[in-house]
Amino acid sequence: MASASVIEMKGLSKTYGSGEGATRALDNLTLNVNRGEIFGYLGPNGAGKTTTIRMLLDLIRPTAGAATIFGMDVREKSVDIHRRIGFMPGELSLWEGRTGNQIIHYVASVRGDTKGIVKQAAEIAARLQLDTSKRVRDLSSGNKRKLGLALAMMHAPELLILDEPTGGLDPLVQQTFHEMMDEYRDKGKTVFLSSHVLSEVQAICDRVGILRDGDLKAVESVERLTQVEFHTVEVRFRDAIPAGLPQQLDALPDISDLSANGARLSMRLVGDFDPLLRAIASGYVESLHIEEPTLEDIFLAFYSGGEED
Amino acid sequence: MIGSVFLETLRQTWKQMVYWGIGLAAMALLVILMLPLFDMQQMKDLLASFPAVILAMIGVGNELEIFATNEGFVAVGFFGKSLLIFAVYPVVMGMRITANEEDDGTMDMLLSLPVQRARVVIEKFLAYSVSIIGVVLLIYFGMHLGVLLGDVELDVARLAEVTFYLIPLMVFTMAVTLLIGVVARRRQVALGIITAYIIMSYMLQTIGLAAEGTVAEPIGAISFFTYYNTGDILTQGYIWPHIAGLVLISAALLLLSLHRYEKRDIAV
Repeated sequence: MASASVIEMKGLSKTYGSGEGATRALDNLTLNVNRGEIFGYLGPNGAGKTTTIRMLLDLIRPTAGAATIFGMDVREKSVDIHRRIGFMPGELSLWEGRTGNQIIHYVASVRGDTKGIVKQAAEIAARLQLDTSKRVRDLSSGNKRKLGLALAMMHAPELLILDEPTGGLDPLVQQTFHEMMDEYRDKGKTVFLSSHVLSEVQAICDRVGILRDGDLKAVESVERLTQVEFHTVEVRFRDAIPAGLPQQLDALPDISDLSANGARLSMRLVGDFDPLLRAIASGYVESLHIEEPTLEDIFLAFYSGGEED
Repeated sequence: MIGSVFLETLRQTWKQMVYWGIGLAAMALLVILMLPLFDMQQMKDLLASFPAVILAMIGVGNELEIFATNEGFVAVGFFGKSLLIFAVYPVVMGMRITANEEDDGTMDMLLSLPVQRARVVIEKFLAYSVSIIGVVLLIYFGMHLGVLLGDVELDVARLAEVTFYLIPLMVFTMAVTLLIGVVARRRQVALGIITAYIIMSYMLQTIGLAAEGTVAEPIGAISFFTYYNTGDILTQGYIWPHIAGLVLISAALLLLSLHRYEKRDIAV
């Protein structure tokens, strides 16, 4: 029976350099990405996301372990694999003196099917509102990324590998990108995308893997991960904190880490805002500051809360 | 598709090829246009008064009779003394095969396509070799133009061998640069090493020529410039063992580069 996994990584490790100066970029990564899913590979900068992707593309070689894509070893069958995948690097570098159209023709000719691919690229470019007649050096960083997306998607690959795909894209184009990813999923294709933007992952991914310091800390469905979503809230009163309010808030089950400083109250809120808003209505609220949790905050909350299976 | 990297490399390079070719052709043209200003007999008498070591250092060596002809003057005075300039173009091209693309980050994009590393290197190497041939052809046309414009008595056909002999020399230089780029990975490091290598080779050639007839003479054999002796080429024509040596070593350097490039990580 054919494997449902499109990407399989087993004990994948990468160390740069040797001896005392050696840097461990990835440690014993075992991870499967299934056919038809959009998998978000999350982690802060330097976590090892790009290292993983570059090993999958056979640009760098693992120190230990192995990886397969479509059941083929990424080292031995790289050309066969690359025929069926599309890739956009995080730091997209293209040939600065060439126009978008020239680069599209070049990439299409290397792929060996110029006519159909170029037509498809033109459709994607139009959808992303990209002018492909300009030289790369004249494109903004956002437009360069649009071109990168067109190059990655123009041959309708079975697997898309995207490293920080939406950095520099304006919100409208990000929305278009999200729609394109949904269409990809609907067609039964697979996307492996790295990001450090939680909202993006929440919007389009089915599952996420969380990477930190080269270690895969967790693989969860987006639904489960966002169950632990919380906000950091700061309430500033005009006069003073109403008497008894801290005790009242402390008693609420969704509030933790409560601290008072002059006329300010800070806390962590999990779940709905209504109980908090009702409680603080006893005083004159001068300002209310709500901060989205960072990926690291969620990660820490998720695992410090003992929610692991 | 086979040949797509080759064709794209040519597309990206043809302008530089034309600019370099025109520049070097203009230098050749200038030397030829200056020929009527010299009295070769006086030049010969003047040079005959120089110590042998000085003659060796300026590239004339014991080829005084050859130098005191229009063809000899162009061969030694232009081709012989412009070797360092001729070395720059293949270094620039050799750097572009891997080192520049890796430093710029475009190699990641290229190698994410269905193409083997070896194919990328070979097609780019061939494309840049073609551009070297283009530059040399332009130099040759420049000499023809000089003869036409200057009404100079010059047997350009005799200089063809000196001109086309540049091709294996420049391809060799590109092959050395490729290998250094593959090993060093970084553009700046590779550029530093290849520059040092070329200057050192040039110095060794000069020492070898200056020390002709002494125990230090074999030092010159270490330099690849020694295998482009314009006086010898003018009198003997193509020196096939030298050409074969340069071609074979270039092929070996290319194979070494392919082997090393296949094994290592692509730099970012």
